[in-house]
Order: sequence, then C-alpha cells, then structure tokens
Amino acid sequence: MANVRQLRRRIRSVQNTAKVTRAMQMIAASKLRRAHERVEAARPYAQKLRQVIADLAQQSPASDDGMHPLLVQRPVQNALLVHITPDRGLAGGLPGNANRAAAAHVLGSPTPIGIIAVGRKGRDFFVRAGREVIADYSGISDRPTLADTVAISSQVERMYRNEEADEVFLAYTEFVNTLVQRPVVTRLLPLETEQIAQEEQPTTFDYLYEPNAEAVLGALLPRFLEMQVYHAVLEAQASEQSARMVAMRNATDAAEEMIDSLSLEMNKVRQEGITNELLDLVGGVAALEG
Amino acid sequence: MAQGTQGRIVQVIGTVVDAEFPAQDLPAIFNALEMEVAGERLVLEVEQQIGNNWVRCVALGPTEGVTRGMPVTDTGRAIAVPVGEPSLGRIFNVVGEPLDDLGAVDAKEHWPIHRDPPSFDEQSLTVEILETGVKAIDLICPFTKGGKVGAFGGAGVGKTVIIQELIRNIANVHQGYSVFAGVGERSREGNDLWNEMKESGVLANTALVFGQMNEPPGVRLRIALTGLTMAEYFRDTMGQDVLLFIDNIYRYILAGMEVSALLGRMPSAVGYQPTLSTEMGDLEERITSTTKGSITSFQAIYVPADDYTDPGVATTFGHLDAVIALERSIAEQGLYPAVDPLTSSSRALDPSIVGRDHYEAARGVQQVLQRYRDLQDIIAILGIEELSEEDKVTVARARKIQRFLSQPFFVAEQFTGREGRYVPVAETVRGFAEILAGQHDDVTEQDFYMAGTIDEVTARARERQGAAA
Repeated sequence: MANVRQLRRRIRSVQNTAKVTRAMQMIAASKLRRAHERVEAARPYAQKLRQVIADLAQQSPASDDGMHPLLVQRPVQNALLVHITPDRGLAGGLPGNANRAAAAHVLGSPTPIGIIAVGRKGRDFFVRAGREVIADYSGISDRPTLADTVAISSQVERMYRNEEADEVFLAYTEFVNTLVQRPVVTRLLPLETEQIAQEEQPTTFDYLYEPNAEAVLGALLPRFLEMQVYHAVLEAQASEQSARMVAMRNATDAAEEMIDSLSLEMNKVRQEGITNELLDLVGGVAALEG
Repeated sequence: MAQGTQGRIVQVIGTVVDAEFPAQDLPAIFNALEMEVAGERLVLEVEQQIGNNWVRCVALGPTEGVTRGMPVTDTGRAIAVPVGEPSLGRIFNVVGEPLDDLGAVDAKEHWPIHRDPPSFDEQSLTVEILETGVKAIDLICPFTKGGKVGAFGGAGVGKTVIIQELIRNIANVHQGYSVFAGVGERSREGNDLWNEMKESGVLANTALVFGQMNEPPGVRLRIALTGLTMAEYFRDTMGQDVLLFIDNIYRYILAGMEVSALLGRMPSAVGYQPTLSTEMGDLEERITSTTKGSITSFQAIYVPADDYTDPGVATTFGHLDAVIALERSIAEQGLYPAVDPLTSSSRALDPSIVGRDHYEAARGVQQVLQRYRDLQDIIAILGIEELSEEDKVTVARARKIQRFLSQPFFVAEQFTGREGRYVPVAETVRGFAEILAGQHDDVTEQDFYMAGTIDEVTARARERQGAAA
C-alpha cells in the first residue's frame, strides 16, 4: 500500500495535468468558435462559385478539343493524395482516424499514389509507413488564410497539368458537429462539372458571359480548386479544434476522477495510520497498567 | 505419565499456564511439562521463569479443564519428535504424535525441537538453479538448490496453490526426502495434500506435520520447529538434500503475537511481539544448507491487508533468497499465478548464474512492464491514442507479457478447467525473448492467456486464423 506522501505527490501531478488539459480545452473551445466562423464565412463564396460553375458548365458543354486541362480525364497511371491532418496531438482519436482513412485509400488504390502531407501527424504516419511523401505543408497556422493553401493547390494544379498526376484525392476530416468529425476522401481532380451541375440548383437567370463562357470557366476552375483545398483545410481545422476540445474535456474529467479516487485512498491510508498509532498507544498504556 | 519433578498449576490465562515447582528443581526454559486433563495428555512448554518458583508455560493443546492445583510433571527435556526414516509417509502433530491412525511410530531417535542454527563455517552456498516449470517463477525469481524461497501474498491470491504446484512439480521429480509443515492454514488442505501425495506416490518420501488454524496458538507457534527438526535430521545425519515446505510462516508470527501479551510482554509496533525478529531468526536461521546436506525451503507468507511494510512481513523478507510477490491487482485480472514481476526477485537472477539470455529476457520483461505501469496514468487520463507509436508497441507487448506470465496449474485444474502445463526454463526464456523481440506482435492478446510454451500460443493463433479463413 502506498504511503501518504507518495499519494500526495501523485495527486499533485495529476492535478497539474488536469490544469493543463482544462486550459487546452478552453483554448480549443475558443479556437473552435473562430474556426467555425471561418468555415461559415467561406461558405457563401464557395456556394456562389459552384453555382456559377454549374451554370457555365451548362452553357458550354464539354467539347473534345480545347477542353480545360483541369477537366481532362486521363487513364490513371499516377495518383496523388492531399492528406490534411493536425500538426499537434492531444486531439483524441482524430489524427488516428484520419490516418486510417487515408491509409485505407492508399492501400486500396490500384495505381501508385504520391502523398502531399498537410500537417505533421499525417506526414509522420506515412513516413513511418515507408510511403513517399512528395511535399510537406506542415505548420499551417491555426488561422489558415487562402495564401497558406494556394501553395498547395497550385502545386496540385501544376502536377496535374504536367501529367505527373492523373487523379488527385483530398483526404481531410469533415466537421459534422462538435462530437462527430468524419474522415473523408474525395476526388479533387479531374473536376467534374456535370456532377457539380447536378448537385447545384440551376440559377434561373440566363447570364451573359464576356468574352465567352469557356474563358470564364477556364479562369474560374483554378479558383475553384483553390477553394476546395481551402475549404478542406478549414473543415479539418474546425474538426481538430472540436476533437481536441472533447478529448481535453474527457481528459480533465478522467483526471478529476483519478484525483478523487487517489484522495479517497490517501485519506484511508492516513486514517489507518492514525488508528494504528492510537492502538499502539492505548495497547501500550493498557499493558503498563495491567 | 512421565517420570520427573512434580509441580502444580497456579494460574491459567487462556493458553498461558503458570506452574509452581520446588525451588531446587525448577524446569529449564523450553522444557516440556506434561499433565493429564480429563484423560488426555497435555504438553506445556516452559517459556519464562517468573520468580516465586513459578514457571510460565505455553500450552500445546486446549487448556479447557485445567484448574489450579492440578499436578504437572517436568519431563526434564524439550519436546522431542521422532526423526529419521520411520517418520516418512506419516502425519504428525506438534509433539510428534502420529495423526494418521497408522499406529505408533517406531523411531530410533527423537530430537528436541529447539536446536542451534548451523554455525557460519558449516553453511554452504551452492548456486545451482532449480527448475520449477512455472514460467513466472523460473523467469523472474529462479530458485537455487538449498535456497530459501518465500511466496508473499494477501488473502486469496493463491499462495497455497503455488506451494502445492511446487510440491507437485519439484517434490514429484525430486529424489530425496521432503517435509511439509502446515502452520495455521485450513485443515482441509492437509487432508487434500495427504491424499494427493498418496496418489502420486511421493508420500513414502515425505513427512507431514500439521498444526492448523483449529489448534491453540502454542501449537501453531511450535509446529514449524517440529517440521524443521525432521528436515534437519535428514540433512545433518543422513546428508540428504531435503525440501521443506511451510504453509504459512506468517501464522507462526501471529501465534507468537497471540501468546506474547499473555506472557506479559509489552506489544510493539502494530501490536507485534517485541521479540518479533528474534523469533523469526530462531526459525529462519535453522532453515539453511550446510556442507553436509541442504534444505531447500518454500515458505508461503500471508501479507495482512496487502501491506508489505507490515513488520511481520518485512522481518521475513530479509531471510529469503528469492521472493515471489503475489499481487491482488493481478489476481483480480484473472491472471494466475498472480506473480508480480516487478517486486518479485531472486539473488540467483544474475548473468553468471542463469546465463545472459535468461538475465536479459527477465530484465527486458521487467523494463517493458515498468514502462507500461509508468504510462498507465497517461492512458487513464488522455487515452491510448495519445501515446507515441513506440509506446503503443510497448503497451501491446506488455499486455501480452502479462498474459503470457499466466499459466494453468496442475493443482488448480478444478478451478481453471484447463490442464496444467510444465514449461522448461529454456522454453520460458525463448518465449519471452521472442515477445520482446516483437516476433509475436501480430498475435492477439487472448492467445497468450493461460498458455504453456510460446509454441502453444502460435498454434492457437494459427487455429484462430484457420477458423476465420
């Protein structure tokens, strides 16, 4: 049985841990709020962009010649996976789940698949697994801006245009709500305007595009790609913060529970010691008198 | 009735009895006194001479019916018990009377139960490993021939089962003589053991003495000495290598405690007798190996309230060569034997004695388990997900090692429903070395539970895969 001093030391150490986890929970909560706001703020633009692209796609049905390079479907020889994960741990099962989903995709891929890691957890995971990590964009701040993600999307675009990759996937964690974050793998390139058109409500207006619909679409598609990546990073960011908040709340609860049980044990040990000393005293006195 | 100086009873305090003798013929300390109570022979042992020609005695039997003025006879010597080959195959009580209804014991010699321990120059220290066939013991706390082994544990963690498995595994293959002393444990166990030994045929080479929990403290205080004296005879006179099993040495301390206050001694820490370490030394110092022969002893030690700092337990620790610590938290997980690999130890776990492979496997196992224990707080607070990959591997291996340390016992077949396993040391070392090396990282934890050799584990894993496929 542990003695009182050892127990007290353990209680103190667990208390300190609980302080840290509680602080992290609060930080994550405030970051989550801002990350969520950013996701919301980016939504109208993304919505509009999709609508316009859907509109344009209807006006300019895909022709065989002169198709925009980001729309070209090629036989897949090399694939690419943009894997978005947190930089830091203490986010519960989120990094593990994201890595598992990405790994399942990589293992299920019939073609060789290169990896662009966004976030240290994913990078380390694939490096450890012995997979090739083509590029590493770890260290994006907690407040990602479009400027942070443009570097990623432009590399993806370049590689696709140069036919270094024939299919590009995006793996990130979708923010469903505070308790649920779903790891998803979606296809980023080639873009499928038909699909976007199907998903979007067609606009009732009949816009005129200058100089023509194709040119506008050509200019918009890279923006759309940027937006997709930016959106994924924001979603991942919100997911990370909410996962961390929940994980830290659980950790704080677990620590407090541990403190309670340790305190109970310590009090028992202390009381037992006192009782034994009393027994010794009383027994000694009784023996002297008897 | 024995011949000798007559005295009479002057005071009865429970199990402690005072008698008055003529001043010139006062019985010596440790002399046996005899009297007759309601037709039964009652033996008293002199513990103190307290003045006024009184001697204070401990009764080695029930004192109901003893009254003041009753005559008592000094036998002039200490309690002597039959020793030598006639004692084999028999069961005795503390004063050397047979309990098995097989008639009188025709022993040529009777030895007094109080003897001096062997002197320094007579003692020998051999370093030869004794295989037990129990993985947890062979790996972490290997026994030496002629060594002293203690199995520590709280109530109900399996001390007696371990001792009985050791009897089964060692005494049955052991060529020499064995002595079993039952001290203050369940009477039923004595019966079981006797029948079991009869079946396995080792009874012919074994002497059993019992002073179980139904007997007065005086009996439990002296019964260990009775058994020990028989073992000493085999060692000293016949030059044998003897196995001595004592279950449970703590009851000896407890009995000493019970009579101590009645003898008028002031209780010491936690109510123990002030003469605790002396009493312990009197017994333990005699259990030793000499140049003539050896006594390899296995002692079960009850740990009150699982507190290893208890004075009674702590006093015993120092006398032992190897310590098997049984832990309740392990028993609660259903892992038997509940040997705690982190607190169990042996002097023999040394590369120059057990060999480098064994030493490294044992230390490796301890390191992995210690790391697991260190990580347990982190796992409890943050969850297993937050561990680094290396630590996750460590945790997985530690859990497998914990399970692989469990083993079905032959004597516990009726509890576990599994047939016992005897695992040679070499197999034990190979198994743990392979787990440490990561060769079985893909085998599920459950396959390690209650297994014998590592080959049995892999066979189970293959079977499981076969069933799944």
